[in-house]
Amino acid sequence: MKIPVIIDCDPGTDDTIALTMALASDHLDVKAITTVAGNQTAEKTAVNGLKIVSFLDKQVPVARGAENPIMRPLVTAGHVHGETGMAHVVLPEPKIDYLETKAWDLFYELSVIKNEKIHLITLGPLSNVAIALMKYPKLKDGISQITMMGGAVGYGNDTPAAEYNIYADPEAAKMVFESGIPITMVGLDCTHQAWLSAAEINAMGSPTEKNGIWLAQEMMHHIHAFATRFGFEGAIMHDPSAIAAVIDPTLIQTKDYFVTVETKGEHTTGKTVVDTLRVTGREPNAQVALEINREGFVELVKELMKRYESGGFRC
Amino acid sequence: MKKPIIMDCDPGHDDALALLLAFASDELDVKAVTTVGGNQTSDKTLNNAMRVLSYAGITDVPVAPGASHPLIRELQIAPEVHGESGLEGPELPEPSFASFGKSAIELMEKVIMSSEEKITLVPTGPLTNIATLLLTIPESKDRIERISLMGGSAVGGNWTPAAEFNILVDPEAADLVFQSGIPITMCGLDVTHKAQIYDDEIEAIRSQGGKVSVMVAELLDFFAKFHKKLGFEGSPLHDPCAVAWLIKPELFTSKHLHVDIETKGEFTSGATVVDYRGVTGKDPNTDVVYDLERKAFIQLLMDSFKKYD
Repeated sequence: MKIPVIIDCDPGTDDTIALTMALASDHLDVKAITTVAGNQTAEKTAVNGLKIVSFLDKQVPVARGAENPIMRPLVTAGHVHGETGMAHVVLPEPKIDYLETKAWDLFYELSVIKNEKIHLITLGPLSNVAIALMKYPKLKDGISQITMMGGAVGYGNDTPAAEYNIYADPEAAKMVFESGIPITMVGLDCTHQAWLSAAEINAMGSPTEKNGIWLAQEMMHHIHAFATRFGFEGAIMHDPSAIAAVIDPTLIQTKDYFVTVETKGEHTTGKTVVDTLRVTGREPNAQVALEINREGFVELVKELMKRYESGGFRC
Repeated sequence: MKKPIIMDCDPGHDDALALLLAFASDELDVKAVTTVGGNQTSDKTLNNAMRVLSYAGITDVPVAPGASHPLIRELQIAPEVHGESGLEGPELPEPSFASFGKSAIELMEKVIMSSEEKITLVPTGPLTNIATLLLTIPESKDRIERISLMGGSAVGGNWTPAAEFNILVDPEAADLVFQSGIPITMCGLDVTHKAQIYDDEIEAIRSQGGKVSVMVAELLDFFAKFHKKLGFEGSPLHDPCAVAWLIKPELFTSKHLHVDIETKGEFTSGATVVDYRGVTGKDPNTDVVYDLERKAFIQLLMDSFKKYD
């Protein structure tokens, strides 16, 4: 049976790859894609979401969410994802428009109202989820699990202590960790192990037309160039790791820990504070991914990309 | 020539070992010992330092009491680890000499400002005394060669999820020290959790037979009980790392990085924020020690304790 999911994202170069994977998977029933301000502004991530769904020719509704973090000004990651959020890639104008329903209302409608348990996958700042939890206390009953790309046990990336998605909206992240919904945290400890070499990226396929493989490869090459400049072995697949963890949970190894988020630090705001030595006495609230089977991950991405081999169009 | 140092400590089981290691070394010349409230209250840590030195026959080095509480916070102590006295385990007689008549800061000032060679400070407790020295005797800064300290951690903590005990107890003091511009060697949990001593090695120390070796083994018996309860296989010898790094730096590996101290966090106060990836653009201020050759480190300790026989 397919897992009903909603993907909340801020495309975003690696978000794009993640969406390409999710929309090709037989294991996932993507009920909706919701966008949030993060890697780029709310307007840009929404348009990018529409363009990606349109380009891949999928019938999945897209809804917009928060324009800003819940209590702070927006900090985008334009230096990583480019001016449009899509690096150098230019996709055709979308054939669809976003829903009038806001992201948080859609979460509630598709889960509690439709009486279906939804697995929520978050690839950006957690503003939409926090707003949904504040507006609909009953949402907890509709979300079976949240798998998030975000946080780190060890070092951060946006600051020494904090990973970008949590750093961008720490108050929202704290609300989500405190919500009681089962959480799988796919943070940097895990995603930094999920890299693709240039050869592995090329081996995804040799599209002669612009299709899903082409789109993913362009983003992978962009990330490869960026990441290797910073000393990483290959293209780091942050958001795709979270998708992979939902499609095949055996790819990741997790430990149950209590996690909260620092919102008041001078140097540590946005840090996911993970009680690895269990000194707080608090019950674990998250499965924290510490390892990913890199070979298995690469195989999964390859397999999903194959689905795009027939089809595609010129643009 | 021997490197002149001041030991600033809060004994404490591992502080006691650090003191014995420093005094046994041919590389180090311990000019003074100062104590601070930390593992136990300041009256107890002073008494403990003097009892250990008296027991080992070291009675000619000045020992002075320092801060009884952190700069602006309440003192936290660690009786869970070190017991009621701060040095539970062996029977140690009362000190056989009197403490230096003045405060730790006055003693440090005297030693530092009268020394021809720059002095290396070795703090193995909260950094209250060192920060007080820098605040009250600013000219001492240029006379300090380096600070080789036990404290902090690049990843994770031990007293809270984010903070190591020594830094947690007085984060404001740590902040002043790390911002001082003085070269710092940080032996944090990253290395000290790898510097564990195991039961068979404690037995090997005991069987060296000398009264200091036997006393050390009894300290370690007590220390091991706490760590076994936490699920450690051995006991991390935190404080001796800061001394051993000065004696045999080749046993350790480190990275030169920028470190900030979190003083305002809700869950992270006392965290040493290590800029491992260089994302802050700030210049490195600390040699962050990550690893050591454990067996050679244990051997160094064993050989040092044997020298007291």
